Amino acid sequence: MRASQAAAAKQIETLDLENFFNPSSVAVFGASKAAFNLGATICKILSDEAVGYRGRVYAVNRKGEDVFGAKGFRTLEEIPDAIDLAVIITPAFVVPELVRQCGEKGIRSIIIESSGFSESGEEGKRLQREVDEAARRYAIRLIGPNCLGILDNRHRFCCMFGANDLAPLAVAHPGSVSYVIQSGGIGALLVERLLDDVSGINKMVSLGNKSDLDEADFIDYFDTDNTEVIALYLESIGGGRKLMEAVRRTKKPVLVYKTGKSEAGSKAVMSHTAGLAQNDAVFDGACRQAGMIRLHTPEELYTLPKMLTEMPLLKGRRIAVFTNSGAFGTIGADMLSDTRLVVSPFSEETKARLAKLPGVFNAENPVDIGPAPPEVYLEIYNILLGADEVDGILHMVSMWRDYVTDVMETLVSLCRKHEKPAAMYAFSALDKLRAAQLEKRLPLFAGAQEAVRALVVSHEQFLAVQKKGEPLWIQ
Amino acid sequence: MDSIIQNAVAKGRRVLSEHDSKQVIASAGLRVNREKLALSRDEALAIAAEIGYPVVLKGSSDKAAHKTEMGLVKLKLANAEDVGLAYDEITAKGAELDGVLVGEMIASEREFVMGLSRDPQFGPCVMFGIGGIFTEAIKDVTFRVAPITEHDAEEMIDEIRMSKLLGAFRGKPAVDRAALVRALVALGDLGYRSNEIAEIDINPVLIDGDSPVAVDALVILKKFE
Repeated sequence: MRASQAAAAKQIETLDLENFFNPSSVAVFGASKAAFNLGATICKILSDEAVGYRGRVYAVNRKGEDVFGAKGFRTLEEIPDAIDLAVIITPAFVVPELVRQCGEKGIRSIIIESSGFSESGEEGKRLQREVDEAARRYAIRLIGPNCLGILDNRHRFCCMFGANDLAPLAVAHPGSVSYVIQSGGIGALLVERLLDDVSGINKMVSLGNKSDLDEADFIDYFDTDNTEVIALYLESIGGGRKLMEAVRRTKKPVLVYKTGKSEAGSKAVMSHTAGLAQNDAVFDGACRQAGMIRLHTPEELYTLPKMLTEMPLLKGRRIAVFTNSGAFGTIGADMLSDTRLVVSPFSEETKARLAKLPGVFNAENPVDIGPAPPEVYLEIYNILLGADEVDGILHMVSMWRDYVTDVMETLVSLCRKHEKPAAMYAFSALDKLRAAQLEKRLPLFAGAQEAVRALVVSHEQFLAVQKKGEPLWIQ
Repeated sequence: MDSIIQNAVAKGRRVLSEHDSKQVIASAGLRVNREKLALSRDEALAIAAEIGYPVVLKGSSDKAAHKTEMGLVKLKLANAEDVGLAYDEITAKGAELDGVLVGEMIASEREFVMGLSRDPQFGPCVMFGIGGIFTEAIKDVTFRVAPITEHDAEEMIDEIRMSKLLGAFRGKPAVDRAALVRALVALGDLGYRSNEIAEIDINPVLIDGDSPVAVDALVILKKFE
């Protein structure tokens, strides 16, 4: 175990993925002016028409023609410049040769977006082996094949073919969540849904067949950059233990949604244990063991990060429920009762302080208030966040007056001051809320259940961080 | 333990008998119920007297995975007469036996399961959960990737839906958590260190007073070409 960890540590030292996200020069193989050319969409995305990438872009095609401002060459050799990153989107059968040419030119980072490799039959598997061999010989690191490549909002770099419309929107809304994905559809969903959210995308990488780099390598990389939350959409795992070790190394939250829950375990097993050891149950245990947060739905990939980027972590299980509409106090308490969190009874002191305020209907937990001025809201927030018996707030309010968004803005800063989180849900005047969300940077959840989940996940991450001080497995 | 496994490998066997399986897990540090293999009726009676009544008799075979269904298990035998009768019935079933196990009878209302399996992605994994004949139906189990720490074992114990069964229950004391933790950690170490073991199934693990005891076990070896 020690030897393998040492080897892994060495690999991390030598693994520099920066050129994939922030290359000074990129060559796109297979980009041409032919109709429906996918490589051309990448050149278009990088041009000033779209994201306005600041590095140099070259197109390599048979005619040597320029493509959307990218200078064209017939071969890589002819490009006089040094190339940081090669993006290959040609028919599969020429890819091994192109990888060798890249190796000769000294290119060490390649993204292969072409399909037709290990995902498609014997011939594809043979091609993939050839590619892998060439990459090994030249110490090239590969993303793909059969992938969409990279989006880096801060460096305004995107080589995701076909993302012409979405990429410019994405780079205009950079954030601190970095994604590893295995599906273009999920990528598009994340970009679009985060556009009016306080969280945004820092980087996104689509992995495809993972013949070389996998999710664990990018967890290690995102641990070193300005990423605050790492989120994974996985359909397969590169290596189980490698993934667990990478998760354990980073203190940043790692959220994962994995498909294949219903996948049957190995067939014809003799023991109860093996019968029950279906893929998903083991993956679930591995997540808990390493400190990775398992998401329930693909939507949580974009709804939950804001709780982790905007709010302190939930350090205990005791929640104060606050509402200005009695029904939601009960709804919140009901929903919390299905979790490991608890609606904690208030101390006599807290109750007495709440009872003194005008408009407070219920000075117990859940706190319920009637029509009241903003000062009362703020006074309640201070009492709750200052109470020793409260670890966090479930805040569910009606937008009965415009100032409710103002008090929520103050609540965010009070939460940071007290180092206790609030999960905020407001259930009326949705158009006003949408505007306020970005303008006042409010981490608002779209439903009561979502807000409760945010608290649960925040506490899971707190517990994961505590655990990460210890080694994953002791030998 | 190594000799049991080497012996099975040499004979081309993949499934260890209950008795051999228990010796393997006992040598890893798990508590198993006291038992001996009887090769004759008289030997069975002598062992029963030595262990003390009540006892359990089980036909021992590395070919019979479903002993209860085959009528090879006789529980709560209170005296020599019962043991003699049970011995005759078991040996009359016509199953290929290497003897009859005479074991200490543990009375327990709580039944747990522990196990070890190998996942294609994660390698050896430890399982803990609710055991007994309804294990698959109840499906209240949890996994960790071996080797596991004491902290991992603690989490597993707290994680199952019916973790309340580990507390004081129907007049019985709370289960000795430390013993359960030690057993799970030992199982993980065994799975991680052994190259030969493919699966281990310990079901049920009964609670004797507060102490977890394995009363049935099955060790399955990997296929060697």
